[in-house]
Amino acid sequence: MSDLNLRDVRKSFGSFEVIKGVNLDIASREFVVFVGPSGCGKSTLLRMIAGLEDISSGDISIGGKRVNDLDPSKRGIAMVFQSYALYPHLTVRENMGFALRFAGVEKDAITAQVDGVAKTLGLNALMERYPKELSGGQRQRVAIGRAIVRKPEVFLFDEPLSNLDAELRVHMRIELARLHKTLATTVIYVTHDQVEAMTLADKIVVMREGVVAQVGSPLDVYDNPDNMFVAGFIGSPKINFVKGVVDSASKTKLKVTLPSYNNSAFDFPITASALKVGDSVVIGLRPQYFGTGGKQKFNLTVELVEHLGGESFVYAGNGSGELLTIATQSARGIKSGEKFEARFDASKALLFTEAGERVR
Amino acid sequence: MNRRLHRIMIYTMLSIAAFVSVFPFLWLIVGATNISPDILSGKATPGHALFDNFVKLTQQVDLVQLFYNSTKIAVIATALTLVVASLAGYAFEIFRSQLSDRIFASLLAMLSIPFAALMIPLFVIMAKLHLINTHTAVIIPTIASIFIIFYFRQATKSFPAELRDAARVDGLKEWQIFWHIYVPVMRSTYAAATIIIFMANWNAYLWPLIVLQTNEMKTITLAVASLLSAYVPDYGVVMVATTLATLPTLFIFFVLQKQFVQGLLGSVK
Ligand SMILES: Nc1ncnc2c1ncn2[C@@H]1O[C@H](COP(=O)(O)OP(=O)(O)OP(=O)(O)O)[C@@H](O)[C@H]1O
Ligand SMILES: [Mg+2]
Repeated sequence: MSDLNLRDVRKSFGSFEVIKGVNLDIASREFVVFVGPSGCGKSTLLRMIAGLEDISSGDISIGGKRVNDLDPSKRGIAMVFQSYALYPHLTVRENMGFALRFAGVEKDAITAQVDGVAKTLGLNALMERYPKELSGGQRQRVAIGRAIVRKPEVFLFDEPLSNLDAELRVHMRIELARLHKTLATTVIYVTHDQVEAMTLADKIVVMREGVVAQVGSPLDVYDNPDNMFVAGFIGSPKINFVKGVVDSASKTKLKVTLPSYNNSAFDFPITASALKVGDSVVIGLRPQYFGTGGKQKFNLTVELVEHLGGESFVYAGNGSGELLTIATQSARGIKSGEKFEARFDASKALLFTEAGERVR
Repeated sequence: MNRRLHRIMIYTMLSIAAFVSVFPFLWLIVGATNISPDILSGKATPGHALFDNFVKLTQQVDLVQLFYNSTKIAVIATALTLVVASLAGYAFEIFRSQLSDRIFASLLAMLSIPFAALMIPLFVIMAKLHLINTHTAVIIPTIASIFIIFYFRQATKSFPAELRDAARVDGLKEWQIFWHIYVPVMRSTYAAATIIIFMANWNAYLWPLIVLQTNEMKTITLAVASLLSAYVPDYGVVMVATTLATLPTLFIFFVLQKQFVQGLLGSVK
């Protein structure tokens, strides 16, 4: 049983607080992804779980046992580092068996265990090579193999794929997902690549400046972001934010006008809200929400089109200076300078307060 | 054509540089085969006096004893310096704190104190410890070499922090990380340091001259110097002695040459 619980976990480097009270419950066998902008403390939090970094306050428990003061090697975790951190003076075989050797496991048992893992990862032909004689992808595989050999209850990955080229990254991503299925262990995975986050995760933890901004399944986080930060961070291309003003408010309906779009008006069904007439709000419209259907429309002028083949991104504005990003599959003929009618359904739009909290 | 000219120029320059650096050594070896008057008159061709010079040398000094003393001092001092300085350099870099940085800065400041100023207090300490005229007295002051500590601290900057983390996750204790990861990974740094320390100790003159007082304790370097300070030095004999005294450092250098160059360029790639 390898449930993992963080209770008000904090970390300061000197007087600088990096992790500002994180609470998190991770179930056994869950694939959890930490995402967030650079410097928000993902690696630090992961290293605290690993035991590589002391905890300033709070509690971390694994499998119900408090591990705050436990050595990294005794926490039942294994870690794969961004730089792979293979021991350069040891062969692939020695690298993979290293932890077992220091745990006092017998030579024959180590060989058997290492060979077994090597087979599942297709490393058999490389066993006597040194890390410098391997390609990036092979090193990555060895690093993962070294982690598996230890039979941990929790795998920790810190941006393991960021040093690989795009093609290999997709390949390793799929392989990781498969490995997670076969090994059936808990995985905590740090990345700032949201494709990795969306595709691999059972549960995404979005972090911002040392706090958890939202926890949820990938689609939940995408469809129902708690705040503007999460809405802006998850989803590609980035969500469009348009400023609005509350025009009238009733118990069930909120009418919002958009000053930069000729005061065009929207009705949002709501249940309860503290918003008053005259309050500023922000409307979030994902590029994918636009189409040829929908009751609402913006009349725009195309500034730039990016054709990705299947899909195109249209950047268009109405002269106010703001550009909207629109993802569409039928924009092949569109050229910059042309008129463009962006239709959408107001019921899909997200509504935030000026401070960035989600209203609807 | 242009490229060829370019190459010719490069080779000419390199040949001149090589000649300038090798010439003293060649002259030393040629000198070892000539008699003293020939050397003084500038004879630059090999002579036939090598064997005679060697015999004369063995009559004047106990070569075996000298080599034994020099080797013993240099080997022990090198080994101890490597251990102490690499541990210190590693610790100064890895376990950094404001305090350790201050201590290190004051160590560096001590580099600027000339040895001549330390000589007399050192001598008094050794005398109080009853270590005058022992090899221990020669070795002890050299072990905590600030320069070598500095060298290891700089080299440690290139030691990847994630290797330490990986080793900690793999269950290694601090001293195991040092011994099983740091030392092998940094072996070219150790090789370069070995050469530097060994040469410094082998060629050490001033301090051994002060603390070593009897002939049977002296090193080959001291012996060569005392041959030179005779009323009428026999330069042929001096040349043979010098040539012999150079051989061990040359040997060490050739053995560790590849790692030496790597170590100076930065050890972890
Ligand atoms: N040893 C340290 N001493 C002082 N500050 C540190 C230390 N390690 C990290 N920090 C600071 O803590 C913050 C979080 O760092 P962390 O490495 O966890 O970010 P991250 O989310 O992993 O970013 P990235 O996506 O760039 O890897 C940063 O502001 C960083 O400068
Ligand atoms: Mg990081």
